[in-house]
Amino acid sequence: MIILLKPHNIYKLRRGYFIMVSEIWTEKYRPREFHEVVGQDDIVKRIKSLTDSLNIPHLLFAGPAGTGKSTLALIIVRELFGKNWRENYLELNASDERGINVVREKVKNFARTKSLGNVAFKIIFLDEADALTPEAQQALRRTMENYSATCRFILSCNYSSKIIDPIQSRCAIFRFKLLEKKDIEKVIRKIEEGEKLEIGPESVEMLYEGSEGDCRRCINILQSTASISPVISTELVSTVISSAKPKDIKIVLDYAISGDFQKSREKLLDVMLKESISGQDVIKAIQKEIWNLPVEPELKVKLTEKTGEAEFRIVEGSDPFIQLQSLLASFVLAGLGK
Amino acid sequence: MQWTEKYRPGKFFDVRGQDLVIGKIKEFLKKFGKGKKAIILHGPPGTGKTALAYVAANETDSETFELNASDLRNKEKLREILKPATEQKSLTKKSKIILVDEVDGISGVDRGGLTELVRLIESSYYPLIITANDIWNKKFSELRRKTELIQLKEIDYRTIRDVMISILRRERKFIDNDTLTNIAIKARGDLRAAINDLQTAASLPDPSEILIGERNKEIDIFSALRIIFKGKPSNALLRIFDSVNKPIDEILLWVEENIPAEYSGEELAKAYDALSKVDIFKGRIYRQQYWRFLVYENAFLSYGISSSKKSEKTGFTSYKKPTRILKMWLNNRKIEKKKSIVKKYSKYVHVGEKRALKEFPTIKSFLLKPEIQKELKLSEEEIEYLNKN
Repeated sequence: MIILLKPHNIYKLRRGYFIMVSEIWTEKYRPREFHEVVGQDDIVKRIKSLTDSLNIPHLLFAGPAGTGKSTLALIIVRELFGKNWRENYLELNASDERGINVVREKVKNFARTKSLGNVAFKIIFLDEADALTPEAQQALRRTMENYSATCRFILSCNYSSKIIDPIQSRCAIFRFKLLEKKDIEKVIRKIEEGEKLEIGPESVEMLYEGSEGDCRRCINILQSTASISPVISTELVSTVISSAKPKDIKIVLDYAISGDFQKSREKLLDVMLKESISGQDVIKAIQKEIWNLPVEPELKVKLTEKTGEAEFRIVEGSDPFIQLQSLLASFVLAGLGK
Repeated sequence: MQWTEKYRPGKFFDVRGQDLVIGKIKEFLKKFGKGKKAIILHGPPGTGKTALAYVAANETDSETFELNASDLRNKEKLREILKPATEQKSLTKKSKIILVDEVDGISGVDRGGLTELVRLIESSYYPLIITANDIWNKKFSELRRKTELIQLKEIDYRTIRDVMISILRRERKFIDNDTLTNIAIKARGDLRAAINDLQTAASLPDPSEILIGERNKEIDIFSALRIIFKGKPSNALLRIFDSVNKPIDEILLWVEENIPAEYSGEELAKAYDALSKVDIFKGRIYRQQYWRFLVYENAFLSYGISSSKKSEKTGFTSYKKPTRILKMWLNNRKIEKKKSIVKKYSKYVHVGEKRALKEFPTIKSFLLKPEIQKELKLSEEEIEYLNKN
C-alpha cells in the first residue's frame, strides 16, 4: 500500500491505520482510547462496557464545557467502527445549526443509507442540545424515534434540566464533572513531555486556575503561551489569560459611574461587536467588577441584584443589549449615590 | 353653529402656532408686484391654510374671491370665472386676494385646469393664495415654479389644548384637563379635528367618551417620540403606535436610541427599566406565540417610558435614527473573515462556532503558525486577516 504523505501533515500508525496528527494541541492530545481519558473514571468504565457489547442506547452527556463529552463520543465511534468511523458518524452543533429543520434534513440524509461494518446503526452526535427550544426538542424526539432502527443519538448539554423529559427518559444519562487539578496536571505534563516545554509548579497552578476546570481552555492557553516561549513562566501565562479577558468592561462601567451614559453604552456596543463577546460574558465581567466600584456597600448589593436579574433575562432570551443598557442606567444612578 | 366657523381667526394675532408662516405671508403681500404673484400654503389638514388666507384678506382690508374643490375647475370654467376676477377693475377701490383652495383637488375631469391656472397667475393683477395638502405630485411642477411655497407644520398638541381652553372659556363650558390633553394628542396636529371633537365632547354627558372613536391618522415617528418623551402620560398614549407607520420592533429601536437624549439620572434608569420590560414581553410573544402580550409591550413602550419623567419637558430635541442595527451589520462585515476562520477551526476541533468565537482571543496566537494554517486550509485572505489583527 502506498500512502501519499502531504509534507505538512504528520501521520502516525495507530491500531492498524494511519491517522493524521494535528498541530492544534486540543486535537493532537485529544484522547483516542478509553484509558487515555482523564477525570471521568466511572463514566468511562460504564461506556466502555456498553461499547464492547457493540450495542449502545441513546446517550445524554451532561456537564460543563471541556470535560470530555465530545472526546468520549469520538472514542465510542472509533471503537465501534474502526477506520470507517467517518462514514458512520455525523456531528451536529445545535447552537450553530439554525432551526430543527436543518437538523432533521441532515439526520434524514445521513440515516437513509445503511451503516458500514458489523454494527447495525450509525451515530449522530448532537452537541449543545440544550440550545434547542422545547418545541425543537419535541421534534427531535420524533426524529429519534423514527430513525431508532438505523441511528443512535449521543446528545451533549451543559444542563440536563434544559432537556425535555421525554428525551431524557429515552437516553442513558451520564453526568460529567469539572476536571480536578490532578487531572488537568496530568494533561499538562503529557503535553510538556510531547512538546519539550518547561513548566514549573506555579505555572501549572496558574494554568489550572485560568482553565476553570475546562480542559480545552487549559490546552489552548498553554499552546498560546508556548507560541511565545517553550519556557512557560507564570508571567507569560498570566499575560495570555488576561489578554483573553474582556478588559474594556471596566471602562464601560467607569463611564456609567461617572454619569456619562451615552459614552458608556457606545463603548459597550463597541466591545460586544469588536470582540464578539456575548451578553452573558459581559454580565459575568460586570458582576465581578461591582465589588471594586467606589460606591456604598449597600449599593453594591443592589447592583448585584440588578445584575442577576439582567443575567436571568438574557438567559431567558431577552435582547442582551437592551437589558445591559438598562443595567448601565442603574450604574449611572449608583454613581449619583442613589 | 360649528365652532370651527364661529372661532375662525379674524386677525393674524388669533392664529396660533404658525408664527413663521404668518411672517412669510405678510412679506409676500407687502412686496406684491416685485416677485412671484402667488403663494402655495401646503401642509396637513387642519393646520390653518384656508384660515390664513382669509385672515390675510381681512388684515389688508381686501375682499376675497374663492374658488374651491366644489367648483368645476377646467380650462373653460377658469377662463369664465377666475379670469375676470384676476383682471383690474376700475370700479372698486378695494384690493383683492384670490384664493384657490385645495388645488390638489383639481382632477382629471378638470381638463387643462392647471395649465390655465399657471397662465392666470402670470397675468393676474392680484395676489393669489393657493392651498394644498400635498404639492409634490409631478403634475404640479410647473405650478411650483411659478409660486412661492410655504409649508405649514402640524400644530403642537399644547397649542391645540390652549386654543380649546380659550374656546371653552368663551362658551362657558368645562371639560377636565386630561380629556382635553387626550383630545389634543389624538388630533395629531389637526386643529379643526380637535375643535370638532371638542364641540362633540362638550355636548356629551361624559366628555371623555369622545376618546373612544379614534380618528385614525398617521403620524411620523418623530411626533410620536416627542409626545411620549415630553408630554404628560395619558391613556391616549396607549394607542399612539397604532398610528405610526412602523412595526413595533422598529419603534422599540427608535425609543432605545433616543432615551438618553431626553432623560438622565433617575428618569433615565426608570425609562430603561420600562424598556427592558418591553423587551421581556417581546421575547415572551416570540417564544410562546401568545400575542396578547403585545398589550404589555405597547403599554411599557408608550405609557411606561412617558411616566418615567418627573414633569413635562419643553424645548426641542433632535431625535436620531437608530444606529445599532447598522453598526451590527457593519461589524458583521468587518468580522466576516474571522467568522470564516472560526468556522473552519470549529469543525476541525469538534466545538460549536459560538464557543470557538469566544476562544478566538486565546487561539489567535497559534493560528499564526503556517503549519496550522495549512492544516485548516485557510485562504490567503483569512491568513491576511490573522496577520493584520
